[in-house]
Amino acid sequence: MSCASKKYLSLMNKVLDQEATEQEERILYEHLANCVECRAHFDELKYSTDLLCRLAHPQLPAGFTKSVLAQLPPEKRHAIRRWGSRHPVLAAMAICAVPMSLVIVGARRQTMQSRDKNGYVLVKVSGDQT
Amino acid sequence: MDQKEKRLIKKVKKGDQQAFAELVDRYKNSVFAICFRMVGNTQEAEDLSQEAFIRAYNHIDQYDHERKFSTWLFRIATNLSIDFLRRRKTSVSLDAVVPGTEGLSLNTILPDNGELPDEQMVRRENEEMVQSEIKKLPEKYRSAVVLKYIEDLSLKEISDIMDIPVGTVKTRIHRGREMLRKNMTAGGGGQA
Ligand SMILES: [Zn+2]
Repeated sequence: MSCASKKYLSLMNKVLDQEATEQEERILYEHLANCVECRAHFDELKYSTDLLCRLAHPQLPAGFTKSVLAQLPPEKRHAIRRWGSRHPVLAAMAICAVPMSLVIVGARRQTMQSRDKNGYVLVKVSGDQT
Repeated sequence: MDQKEKRLIKKVKKGDQQAFAELVDRYKNSVFAICFRMVGNTQEAEDLSQEAFIRAYNHIDQYDHERKFSTWLFRIATNLSIDFLRRRKTSVSLDAVVPGTEGLSLNTILPDNGELPDEQMVRRENEEMVQSEIKKLPEKYRSAVVLKYIEDLSLKEISDIMDIPVGTVKTRIHRGREMLRKNMTAGGGGQA
């Protein structure tokens, strides 16, 4: 833009960000009325952002939520704790099972991490076994 | 954040997966829109969205209930998308997209507004043009622009999501907007 100062460009940005005061807005529009270049620039900025705003909102397949749930770890630490306080004897008996479940949880975590490094399309942790 | 959402999050923190399902239903389309506009491919965007929710569930203890849940969730989604883009950059040849396939997948996700075939075609062409322009933006401008114009978020929310000052958000949006303008109106015609 060869219009003398950058002042109007920053005013345009303020107006587009809806952060301009009434006075700033008036200054800009008065200038736009007289400056073809700035007017074209402003119209183009508005034209491109309007196109962005009008983009359709994409839709996910219907089973999305289900498949997220299927991939959650089965672990329920808090539930176990609550149950344990209600059934202390059973809880004590169950303690020997804790190391096992830790191993399982740990294994799950590892699967997730290897997914992270290798990309998302490779493995889908199947939740069907649970 | 409304009371219902606070209750849901409390339940999720106790391991209630049904409560989490409600949160997923609430935010899945926004999360998907962010990922899709960031990476430009529906299948990858769906995988990233799933990953975002799974992470949110696994790290729900790290969520600070003083802040908006959506801010925290969108931050996970944005960061995952950016990580994905960086990884893809290092393995471009493996992931090279077959020309035309993106258009097909885009077609399947566009809502059916009962338009005439001609209108549909024009809209689809527009969609593809805009999406390809978004894709040309450097990722730090792209995320700011997507959060602003696709999600319609305030500059403050964007600054919280991206963990950068509001001033930096503005700069990125201004630069992104300027790049879009230049590319979309190349040749000075205006009507692309
Ligand atoms: Zn001027």
